[in-house]
Amino acid sequence: MITSIRSDRLVVVSDLHLGNPFSTARKQIIPFLRHAAKAGYDICINGDGLEIAQASFSKIAFDVPELLRTLSDIRRQGQEVYYVTGNHDIALEHFLEDWGAMKVSPFLNLMSGKSRIRIEHGHIYDPFFVKNAFLYETLTHLAGYLLKLQPKIYHLWISYEKWKSRLRAKKTGIRGEHPAFREAALELCRRGFDVIVFGHTHHPGEVVLENGGKYLNPGSWMLSTHYVKIDNGNVSLNEWTMVRPGL
Amino acid sequence: MKLLSGHFEHEQIEDYDDGECIFEENDTGRDLYIVQSGTVLILKKNNSETIEMAKFTKGDFFGDIALLQSIPRYAGAFAKGPTRLLTLKPAGFLLKIRRDPTFAFEMLQQMSLRVKISNDRLLEIVQKFKLPHEEVQKILMSIGAKV
Repeated sequence: MITSIRSDRLVVVSDLHLGNPFSTARKQIIPFLRHAAKAGYDICINGDGLEIAQASFSKIAFDVPELLRTLSDIRRQGQEVYYVTGNHDIALEHFLEDWGAMKVSPFLNLMSGKSRIRIEHGHIYDPFFVKNAFLYETLTHLAGYLLKLQPKIYHLWISYEKWKSRLRAKKTGIRGEHPAFREAALELCRRGFDVIVFGHTHHPGEVVLENGGKYLNPGSWMLSTHYVKIDNGNVSLNEWTMVRPGL
Repeated sequence: MKLLSGHFEHEQIEDYDDGECIFEENDTGRDLYIVQSGTVLILKKNNSETIEMAKFTKGDFFGDIALLQSIPRYAGAFAKGPTRLLTLKPAGFLLKIRRDPTFAFEMLQQMSLRVKISNDRLLEIVQKFKLPHEEVQKILMSIGAKV
């Protein structure tokens, strides 16, 4: 299992949830990936790229083959494709690995320029997932039925999380996230990482940690088209637009 | 050595100058170290010689043998250039793994790599000095044996 990699140019996207009835990521992600690869960037899908927990088979059949073909093309053109597993696609780990178009890993320790960067989905720092895994999975599965009836319900949930995070006394993390994610990023920075990139929470943002490290989350392509760009050790959060494409 | 902070009870950040000793061979300390910046050399005395066994840089850990086996330090550790270390106390080791589970994964990954490298080196030596098959088998079995 490869977890240590080197790349001077890499883009990270997260939580595409292709196969979820709510996900509209396919429309934008394919042109984005092709554009990024053409500009010489390696690709990293940071977990929950594909959906198992709330999947609709017809949606998977519609969304996924085109993504896999695109990633295969990108590798043929000479760029690397990395896939970090998340909690919605962990069962697909071996399928994705055997399929061969990408390097699958539970996390990545990336050296870019002089920066040491950790890319990880981050679900193992989610207090709800860790403490009540069965309940978490059950509720996620049930929420899938609600999304089939009314996909926009998910926007309400995201707004609720943002509202809830405003009530917290310490507003030092990314808005909408549980403080545990910022604390986990700080913990990782203490053992020699300069930058931490998580996914999972679907809340895009970036914060500077008290030890000088940086924590970013590109959010989810179900809600917005944010991505993390890594250029020779410089890391930034950006938003992709099809109108004026550019990295 | 300069003690910088104790953010968590069981860990602290320490600064070392070039050439400064972090621990000597046979010291009884049990702390585990993670390199935040700089370089650490692991040196082992062999008769009158000193052998450089390993070099650790940013993100690497060392001191694991004393921590996990509860034995004196197998070799000495020295800073090469200004070096900053995160020091984990034995009592905080499990807590660290709970807070940062991928650290345990990375440790296992490093250790399995070290075992593989040791085995490869051993086989190289066996081939070079043409040791008898029974002797080689005995050495390999003793490495793999559960103590």
